[in-house]
Amino acid sequence: MTGPQATLILATALGAVGMWQLLPRAGARGKLLGAACLAVALGLWASRMPLLADWVQSGLFFILAGVTIVAAVATVTMRNPVYCAIWFGMTLLGTAGLLLLAGAEFLAVATIVVYAGAILVTFLFVLMLAQTEGRAWYDRSAWEALVSAVAGIVIVGLLSVTTSGVLLAKGDKAAERAAAKRVAAERAAAERAAAIAAEGKGDRPAAERVLAAERVLAELRKAAERAAAIAAAAEGKGDRQADDGVLAEHHVARFGAELFGRHLIAIEVAGTLLLAALVGAAAIVSQTRDGRTSGEDSP
Amino acid sequence: MNPEAALLNNYLIVGAMLFGIGMIGFLSRRNMIVMFLAAEMMLQGVSLTLVAFARFHNDYGGQMLVVFVIAVAACEAAIALALVLMLVRRSGKLDVAVWHALREADQPAFAEEEPPEEPAEPQEPSPQLTQAGLTPEIPREETEYRPRV
Repeated sequence: MTGPQATLILATALGAVGMWQLLPRAGARGKLLGAACLAVALGLWASRMPLLADWVQSGLFFILAGVTIVAAVATVTMRNPVYCAIWFGMTLLGTAGLLLLAGAEFLAVATIVVYAGAILVTFLFVLMLAQTEGRAWYDRSAWEALVSAVAGIVIVGLLSVTTSGVLLAKGDKAAERAAAKRVAAERAAAERAAAIAAEGKGDRPAAERVLAAERVLAELRKAAERAAAIAAAAEGKGDRQADDGVLAEHHVARFGAELFGRHLIAIEVAGTLLLAALVGAAAIVSQTRDGRTSGEDSP
Repeated sequence: MNPEAALLNNYLIVGAMLFGIGMIGFLSRRNMIVMFLAAEMMLQGVSLTLVAFARFHNDYGGQMLVVFVIAVAACEAAIALALVLMLVRRSGKLDVAVWHALREADQPAFAEEEPPEEPAEPQEPSPQLTQAGLTPEIPREETEYRPRV
């Protein structure tokens, strides 16, 4: 077993123990032990994540990811459902920050407006309406805390092992392939130049020889440019910022053009779905206990 | 590893973590509202993954999917909260275990762990009145029905 995999397996085991300790089990909770185990597990996971392009991006990413994950853990382990909802709001803010960092500006704003502004507030409304007095027993006893904690964290462990393995191997292979291509391009250029130079030898006029030498130079320059382009593509930079991808300057405008151009029918279907959900929700809530809708006259 | 692949790797791991934590919450918590919060958290994890792939492939497809995920999440929240409100009106509790009668025929019934005895508050003795007439029979539904919830 190699080092990185052992680290991830240790992180998985510690994370499962931590989640199990933190979940409310029959009134009892190992807060301190659970938090310590989870902190160590998150640290181990973070130690297996590579750094990003520059230190600003790396710092922002790790701070936002830490806030998001800690708030998510608090959301599922808090005993009071109102605290759960508020911690979920924190998770949403962290997620919005991560979306912004990944270049999805519109989605970050939409997450805050729709999730934190509308959905979460509705959750809180229902909580306040349905809240029973005092501490409810069912909030203090989780079902099968150990089994669900192990299942969830093992999924995370497997996914992280797989992504790291695949992406690391793929990155290495891509770099190797790019290097091989560059070497091949350089060799082909050199052969070409040698051929032209050989052509230029012999008892030819000086003017022809000068022309041949110029062609050799041009070939060499072109080969160097191609090699540089291949190297840039392998680095993953290229001229990605310049073209009209997701990191383009007018992101929201391009996003809207894409949304209402290629995905117009899907947008219409989503709008219909929202209307149907609205009607359905109103129909469900307006029923009384006998199954009559509250708008009807009583007999 | 080049920076774009590193970004993709880190976002995938954070998305997997959000998904896993949401799954733990959905499986183990008994409060219906907390279960729905956990389900929304799983959707957030998937959204992060999709946006990271959109960035990696430099393509808008992933971000489009996230727009529709948000729309479907809004619908789901509206319907789910209406249903929760209905169920709470009938049972007076946010506990899903109340509805274990809806299980499959061959599944065992839910056995509730008894909550520990909480120290009861001393109550004033109620006045004793002479009983007159028969005790009216109030159906159990009627006593548990909370019209103003």
